Amino acid sequence: MWKTEATGVPHVEPAVRQCLPPCQIKCPINEDIQRTNVLISLLPDDPDLAKEGMLQIGDYLYDKNPFFNICGYICGLCELECNYLKKGGAIKRRLLKRFLSDVYTEHLRELGELKIVKDKEKVAVIGGGPGGLMCAYHLGRKGYQVTIFEASDRLGGALWLVPDYRLPKDILQTTVENLVRIAGIDVRYNSKLGAGQLTMERLKNEGFKAAFLATGLPYPRVLTFERQSLEGQDLAGVMYGHTYLYEVSHNNIAADYFKGKRVIVTGGGNVAFDVARSARRQGGKVTVVALEREDKDHRDGIPADEEEIRGAWEEGIRIVYSRGVRRIIGQNGRFKGIDCPACVSVFDKEGFNPRFDCTDCIDLEGDVLIITVGQAPDRSMLQKEDLLDEHGRLDVDHLTLQSRSKPWVFVGGDIRRVGFMVEAMGEGLVVAESIDRYLRGVDMKEGRRRDYEGYQIPLRRDYKPEPRVPWMPPEDRMHFKVFEQGFTLKEAIAEARRCVTCGPCLSCKACVSIGFQKSLSPVEVDETRCSGCGHCVYVCNYYSAHLISAGGKIVSETDMFRCKSCGMCVAACPSQARRMVDDATAERIATLYSSLA
Amino acid sequence: MSDYEPKVVCFSCKFGWGYLTDEDTLSRKIDNWVPLICTGKIDATHILDAFKAGADGILILGCPEGDCHYQDGNYEAKKRVYLIRRLLESAGIEKERIRIVLSADPEGESIPRLVDEMRRELAKLGPARKGPAKERKPKEAIKGRGGK
Repeated sequence: MWKTEATGVPHVEPAVRQCLPPCQIKCPINEDIQRTNVLISLLPDDPDLAKEGMLQIGDYLYDKNPFFNICGYICGLCELECNYLKKGGAIKRRLLKRFLSDVYTEHLRELGELKIVKDKEKVAVIGGGPGGLMCAYHLGRKGYQVTIFEASDRLGGALWLVPDYRLPKDILQTTVENLVRIAGIDVRYNSKLGAGQLTMERLKNEGFKAAFLATGLPYPRVLTFERQSLEGQDLAGVMYGHTYLYEVSHNNIAADYFKGKRVIVTGGGNVAFDVARSARRQGGKVTVVALEREDKDHRDGIPADEEEIRGAWEEGIRIVYSRGVRRIIGQNGRFKGIDCPACVSVFDKEGFNPRFDCTDCIDLEGDVLIITVGQAPDRSMLQKEDLLDEHGRLDVDHLTLQSRSKPWVFVGGDIRRVGFMVEAMGEGLVVAESIDRYLRGVDMKEGRRRDYEGYQIPLRRDYKPEPRVPWMPPEDRMHFKVFEQGFTLKEAIAEARRCVTCGPCLSCKACVSIGFQKSLSPVEVDETRCSGCGHCVYVCNYYSAHLISAGGKIVSETDMFRCKSCGMCVAACPSQARRMVDDATAERIATLYSSLA
Repeated sequence: MSDYEPKVVCFSCKFGWGYLTDEDTLSRKIDNWVPLICTGKIDATHILDAFKAGADGILILGCPEGDCHYQDGNYEAKKRVYLIRRLLESAGIEKERIRIVLSADPEGESIPRLVDEMRRELAKLGPARKGPAKERKPKEAIKGRGGK
């Protein structure tokens, strides 16, 4: 199932087989989704009583993921793999976490600093974005003395570029502020690697034994056509999306800055849509020009999220698909329009390599052009620090994220590969583990490769449709406040209950943690009694019971990875060949019956 | 009949009933109560054994339709109850003596009430018949059930 990475090392670690629900496999940090869904579904319906339970579930999630409340606003990656997706709509896990966030974010201020003796080595984390913070948090919890070197004057990195209508600033501010306080992490602001005296060598001399480089992608990528940078990007009225969002996040742009202006945004990613929708909120008449096709299922489909595209469309943003930019047209030093050839294909075997049909061109006129075609790392810093290979690529091990040229340096997050917030967090988690192994001097790779096995949706008589999530109507949401309505307690319980908990019990054990049962009871088959009739196969909703041929006869067997110990096969068995091991229920019934007489 | 107190055995699923209240507190209020995980686990022998042991009625409290943690254990239980009623009737045990309710009550406050309600109705029926019923006609009882 798994592939080996060509590392030049002949020894390859065998993958550890791990069964998880598909949502948890999709989540880069494998959050305990099923377990916490079950716990939410069992909350009391009285808001005051439920609060305590919500804080407990929050504490549990926070332990592993100090960003879970932010995920509740902007992630939801797990929903893409939900087994329910094709049965009525994915479980709205993002909103379930936002529901917890509603009480937990405020609660963060009340949490005390973790009581951990910081007696381990000094570790430097360069870059205070989600990747760096995640790594620092987990190393801090292990007792390392962690210092974050942050180039700007605030923690959170690219999360600040997410517009307020998706992620309110106070949520972000509260989260990052408390994260470093709770985990006891030092932060040095305005400390940019490569600027002034700050170099890796210097960190080493200061006594840092390991470093995590997670500086992200601080620079906007310039607009190119046929691999040549386009002229005219210095015209008045042309700006980069990245820069624009940065200024918006600092409240440096007036609320009606684009009033009466025609704004063209180039790009098809989520950032391009953040830019377009922000510009729309600041009064612009916005057109998005994307290279990609409208059909998201196509290889060349637009990468932005469905919800972003729908939201933009509702807000009156025009989207032009399958068009590139061949020429930026200016007049008297001002931007005037773009010349857009049709894009016939975006990706080929080599990867991103757009091809155009220049006989099919349109001119789009505008007053402002916002280029949002991606971001770039600080290459000169990487070069200076000798972290690139001969092809100019980052020279790191893909499993451990350890630099091959400087073993005490680890690299991850957007700088390695641009992705979602939680992907950077995932790499932060990997690096925390790597640095711990490196400093303890143990094997860097053993047991880390995981071969995840997902589960099908269980058989079920009825599936429930997804709840409708109300958005404010477009005319009422031309501001930067969140326009999506969160769950009420009642709605959250109902939605959590909709989760069919398709994953295994072993990684969940919610029922054990709340005392429903003392342990999971495996099912045992007595082969001498079993007649191989198959009733158990019929009744099992988890494809766990099946028939095998053993010792010349057909008998049933239970796959312990899939079995949920529901006991339905035991009840269905006509020859009492099946029983639950260590299940107290049968005994309890027997005791009760003997007392009836 | 005034001193006759029918004995009702009550099974309830922990995922729907009484999970917000301490089990010991609740069990003081409910006689002959067996909280379990999933009513789909209740076997035909559990039901028959209860009558053999001297129960006058059985109340099964399962989760609401479509809400079973194990997908459809509550439907399984319901199906089983209907089938067993036929069997019990053939043995001279009235079908009213076994009842299933698919609903939820996280606090479990209604469980004692539901048990009492059933007990009052059973009091009208009198004690469940024990031992073989003399006038039972199994063939006749099964007739008309489609005879698969």
